[in-house]
Formats: sequence, C-alpha cells, structure tokens
Amino acid sequence: MATGAVLPRLLGAGVRAAPRGRAAQRGRTLGSAAAAAAREPERDSDRSARILSEPLKHSDFFNVKELFSVRSLFNARVHLGHKAGCRHRFMEPYIFGSRLGQDIIDLEQTATHLQLALNFTAHVAFRGGIILFVSRARQFSHLIESTARSCGEYAHTRYFKGGLLTNAPLLLGARVRLPDLIIFLHTLNNVFEPHVAVRDAAKMSIPTVGVVDTNCNPCLITYPVPGNDDSPPAVQLFCQLFQTAVTRAKEKRRQLEALYRLQGAPGPHPANPAAPGAPSPGAQAQLGVGHSP
Amino acid sequence: MAGSRLETVGSIFTRTRDLIRAGVLKEKPLWFDVYNAFPPLREPVFRRPRLRYGKAKSPTQDIFYHEDQIRAKFYAAYGSGPKAFDLFNPNFKSTCQRFVEKYIELQKLGETDEEKLFVEAGKALLAEGVILRRVEKARTQQEGSQVSRKSESMGVESQTALEENPPLKEVPQAQHLESPGEESKGLSPP
Repeated sequence: MATGAVLPRLLGAGVRAAPRGRAAQRGRTLGSAAAAAAREPERDSDRSARILSEPLKHSDFFNVKELFSVRSLFNARVHLGHKAGCRHRFMEPYIFGSRLGQDIIDLEQTATHLQLALNFTAHVAFRGGIILFVSRARQFSHLIESTARSCGEYAHTRYFKGGLLTNAPLLLGARVRLPDLIIFLHTLNNVFEPHVAVRDAAKMSIPTVGVVDTNCNPCLITYPVPGNDDSPPAVQLFCQLFQTAVTRAKEKRRQLEALYRLQGAPGPHPANPAAPGAPSPGAQAQLGVGHSP
Repeated sequence: MAGSRLETVGSIFTRTRDLIRAGVLKEKPLWFDVYNAFPPLREPVFRRPRLRYGKAKSPTQDIFYHEDQIRAKFYAAYGSGPKAFDLFNPNFKSTCQRFVEKYIELQKLGETDEEKLFVEAGKALLAEGVILRRVEKARTQQEGSQVSRKSESMGVESQTALEENPPLKEVPQAQHLESPGEESKGLSPP
C-alpha cells in the first residue's frame, strides 16, 4: 500500500509496507565505486540514527509550548468539569475546586500535561509512527475524522469491535501494523463506560494520549490531559493542537532528512532546533524555502 | 512479536523494558526512546477505584469568594436581576456584578455597616439607570396563606395592589424599605 494516509477512516488502512529501507540508495556503480556503495548503508544508518536521536536532546524540540496558553485553554472552556456527583476518584488531584457543585479543572496542571502529550505526539509522528484518533462522541465524529485526514493519520470514531487491537491478525489481515499512538478525544463511550480501546492499548503496549474529563479514569492512559471533553470549543481546540503538532513534526522530519542528505557527511547542529517563533501557518512554507539549496 | 498483555501489572513501559532486558522482545518499539526521554508525570499503572467509606470525604474544596456573600444578599432581595445573562460575551457584566462592584467601591471608601452599604449600592445603581425590583421575601407560616393570596392578586393586577403591600412588607423588611415611592418606581413597567 503506497500512502495509507489517504483513507483515515479504516483501521485496515493501517496496513503499510515493510519498514522503509534505505536499500534504494544502493545504485548501479562501477569498479571502485563498489567501496563507496558499501559505505553508503553505513552512512545512511548513521544518518538515520542521528536524525532519530537529535530531537530527544532538546526539551521542546517542536516548540509545542507556543501552541497554547492557560488563557487560551480558559477561553475554550477547558476548565469546566462535570457536577461533583459525577466525579471520578482518580481525577481529584487534577481538580482545582468545585464551584457551586460544578468541578473546575486546574488549568496549570492541564497546561503541563498537555505540553507533555503534544511533545510525545510530535516525537512519535517525527519517527513515522501511526497515530489513531479514537472517540465515541457522535457530535464530534466528523470533526475528528477530518482532523485525522488533514494530518495524514487515522481515526476510528465508530463502534469499536472487540478484538480490533487484541485480535488484529484475524480481523484486519495477517500482517497489520498496529498504531504506535492512540489519541483519545473522549475516553468514555456512549454509555459512560471507559472505552475498550484504553484497556486494549494497555494490553498491546501501545502508548495513549487522552483528554480526561472529571468523570473519566486516567489510570491506564499514558499521557492524560485533564480537560473538558464535552464543549465544542474545547474539542475543537484539542483537535487543532494535535493536528498542528503532528503536521509540524512531519514537516520537521522532511527538513532534517533533506538537510542531512545534502550535507552528506555527519551534519552540524541543525540551524533551527526549535521551530521558528512565529506560530503562523506560513512558518512551514518559510522553513521549506529557507532550507532549499 | 512477543508481548505482555497484563494491563493490570505495571505500566506499558516497565513491561516493555523488562521484556527487552530479558531478551524476549528483540526490537525496541518506536515510542520507547521517546518515553524514556520524556516520561509522564505519573506512571500509567492500573489502580482499582475504591469507594470511600464512613466519614472519608474527597479533598476537593469548594470555591467561594468574598463577593459571594454580597451576591447572596442581592439575589435574596431582588431575585435574578432585570437583565438576562449573555454568556456569549466573555466580558459581560451582569446587574449583580455591577452591584457587587459598587458595593466594594463603597466599602473601600470606609463604610462598615452592611445594611447601609447594601442600600447605598442599590441607590448608586438606580442613579445609573438600573431599576431593581424587590421580590416577596420568605414569610412565616401565619402570614403565609394571607400573603400568597395577596401576591396572586398582585401578579394579576400588578399596578394596583402596590399600596396594600408596604404595611405587610414592613414587618420582615423594615430595615430595607426606604419609602413606598421607591417601590412604585421599581414596579412601573421598565
């Protein structure tokens, strides 16, 4: 399957070719160039190792901190939780207080958790991981599917068949590649129980990022983000943040690969480890222009 | 590919790390290094949600402000204000909020008596053109039936029953009532 990114709705579309190899680099060369050909794979693996290890050295390589602020979270009504009677016991540390019976989520904590979650998402996307957006809220089903489509990843907002992750070879095909990250916009399903995919992802050792409201269980989610998952502005904000993080990461990957390929020998410290300060969408186009030879 | 499906034992990270160390899992998964470099604030270990028993209460605090006392008095006296709340506007100031701000202003000027502050704040709002209508306060059981009849008739003929009320109202609200004149101003159609 060429670019599986074209069909975000089908989990089966997650079938991808075998790990992208550098075998194509070996060209038809003559004589002494055979030695050069032998050196190529080494340099390639060296290069790819450097590409993969470089972002891990910076605390915020993709500069996800600039994508949001506590004020923007407040304006999107992310701090509004459910009534005190719906509160889940394990969400108590993330709740700031209860205003006339309605729980208010602590946005300072949310900001820290969201930064970690976006950073993780960006790194996974940078490494070419498959990301699956999961939600069972019918109100936002279309929004989430279009978000996934626009960042070239996958979404599953319909009924989750049992065994989709745990019995994938049977349901989806013999050599399916499972997602490397699952992002939950809604952790609960339509009967207010935890989504099956939370437990199944933990079973299959797939890391998860999830927006947890005050009535959700954040235990099994690797990078929970305490926040409102019911208001449209909040869900739109989260979708936009994840989309931007994934797109930025993929763009960064393309640039770094181009940079290292052009430089040939192990390149120096890349010019812009953090994405440029301007958060405008035009920044990506500018970067592409800046790095061309 | 080997794996461990025990989601109730440790986290995905500890299980994967131990499988790699044991040599059972040959390849490091994609996310492993990223998790290592940026671990979450809490390790995602399974915990069984237990109910609270006896007198154990959740540590979540209620959120109250000092202004809430002023708001409570306002709503007790005037019911919900004359203007509806516009929730689309993030900088919206309701009548109650304006009242509270006036009250605090007057308090800063040095006033201490709560009743006086309340009345002065009401007067200040009136001067700005906001008309506040008093509501029927909670009555004692003896007056209950008599007054409910009166208030029904008031609801039907809002303009005429006015003059009969001040003597009734004076009993519970003696301190708040300035003059019947203010009542009539309050009840005339805005």
